[in-house]
Amino acid sequence: MTARTEDAIPPNPPAVARDSYQGHYAGFVSRFLSFVVDMIVITAIFLLVLAAIWFSAKILTGTNIAFNHGSIWVLIGYVIWAFIYFARSWGANGRTAGMALFGVQVVRDDGGDVSERRAALRTLVFPLSFLFLGLGFLGIVLGNHRRALHDVIAGTTVIYCWDARAARLRYLSRN
Amino acid sequence: MGERLAPPLEARAQAVAARAVELVVSSLDVNALVDRIDLNAVLSQIDINALMDRIDIGKILDRVDMDTVLDRIDLDRVLSRVDMNRLMATVDVKALVERVDVNDVAQQVDVDGIIRKVDIDAIVDRVDLNEAAQRIDVDELVEKTDLGAIIARSSSGFAGDLLDVIRGKAVAVDDFIARAVARLRHRPYTGPPGPPGPRRPDVSPPDQLPPAGPASGEPNARTPS
Repeated sequence: MTARTEDAIPPNPPAVARDSYQGHYAGFVSRFLSFVVDMIVITAIFLLVLAAIWFSAKILTGTNIAFNHGSIWVLIGYVIWAFIYFARSWGANGRTAGMALFGVQVVRDDGGDVSERRAALRTLVFPLSFLFLGLGFLGIVLGNHRRALHDVIAGTTVIYCWDARAARLRYLSRN
Repeated sequence: MGERLAPPLEARAQAVAARAVELVVSSLDVNALVDRIDLNAVLSQIDINALMDRIDIGKILDRVDMDTVLDRIDLDRVLSRVDMNRLMATVDVKALVERVDVNDVAQQVDVDGIIRKVDIDAIVDRVDLNEAAQRIDVDELVEKTDLGAIIARSSSGFAGDLLDVIRGKAVAVDDFIARAVARLRHRPYTGPPGPPGPRRPDVSPPDQLPPAGPASGEPNARTPS
C-alpha cells in the first residue's frame, strides 16, 4: 500500500486494458521499447563500471586509464557484459529490466519457463536477427506467433506478462 | 256343463293366439320396421329432463365398481388420441395462474429438502464461469460496490499507474500494427494468440482468440509475474 495524495490525478487508463492480454504473444513495439530500455541500462551500468575502474585506478595507483570507445577491449567487455545481462536475466525469470518495465517475458515456445541453457542460446543467436537490416525481426510483425529469428532458433517466444485487466480495475477504483 | 267346457276352450284359444303371434312375429322384418320408424320424431316427444329426473344417478354409480372400470381403460391409448396443443390452447393459463395462491404453495414447499437433494457441484461444473465473467460490466461493478476501494488499497500508487499506462500504450500500438498488417494481408485480425501452457490467467473473449493453433484456448491458472 502506498500513500497517495488526494489531488494526484491518475493518468488515462490503458487503452487496451479492458481485456487482459496476459499470456498472449507480445508485439513488436513492446519488445522493441523494452530492448531500448535494456540497451540504456546495459550501457549506463557499463559506463558506471568503467568510471569506477578509472576512479579506483586513479586513487589506488595514481595512473590515469583512458578508455577509448573504439578500443577492442572495451568492445569485448561490452559484448560480454551484454551477454551476461541478457542470458542471466532470461535464464532467471525470463525478463530483463526493460522487459519487466513493459510487461513482457521470454518463455519456451510451448509456454514453459526458459532454462539457463536456452537463455544462453537465445542470447548467442540474438545478433543474427539484426543481420540484413534486421530482417530477422520481421517475424514479430508478420508471423502468427510473433517470433523473431532468434526466437525460432532458440525455441522461445515473448509474451505479455502484465495483467491489463487488473490495471483497468486499479484505474477505475481511483475514479 | 258350460263350466266343464270352459277351461279346455280357453286353453285352446291361448294356444291358437300364441301360435298366431308366433307366425306374425316370424313373418315380420324387424329391420324394415325399424327403418320405417322415425326415431327423431319419437325422441322429440320424449321429455329427456323428466326422464333424467326419474333416474337416480347416485344409485347407479353405487352399483358401478369404478376400480374395475378404470382397470379396463387403456389410459395410454386415450392420451395418445388427445391433442395436447389444442387442449392447451383452450386453457386460459393467465386466469389459472391468477387463481393460484403462490404464497400458500411456496409455504408448502420443503425448500431445505429440495436444496439437500441438489448436487451443487454438478451444477457449478456445468456453468461456464469464464463466459459468465465476460458478461460482467466491470466498470459498473466497481462503481456500485466497495470493490474499488479494496483494489485501491491493495494496489500500487501513481508510479504503478504510470507504468500501466506506458504498457497499455505499447500494447495498443502493437495491436494497431497487427491490425494494419492483417488488413494488408487481407486476413481477419483475431487478436494476439499465446503459447499453450500455464501463462494465461483467463480465457480471452471469443473475438480475441484465433480458432485454432497451439496458442488458442487453454485456460491457465498460474500468473507469470
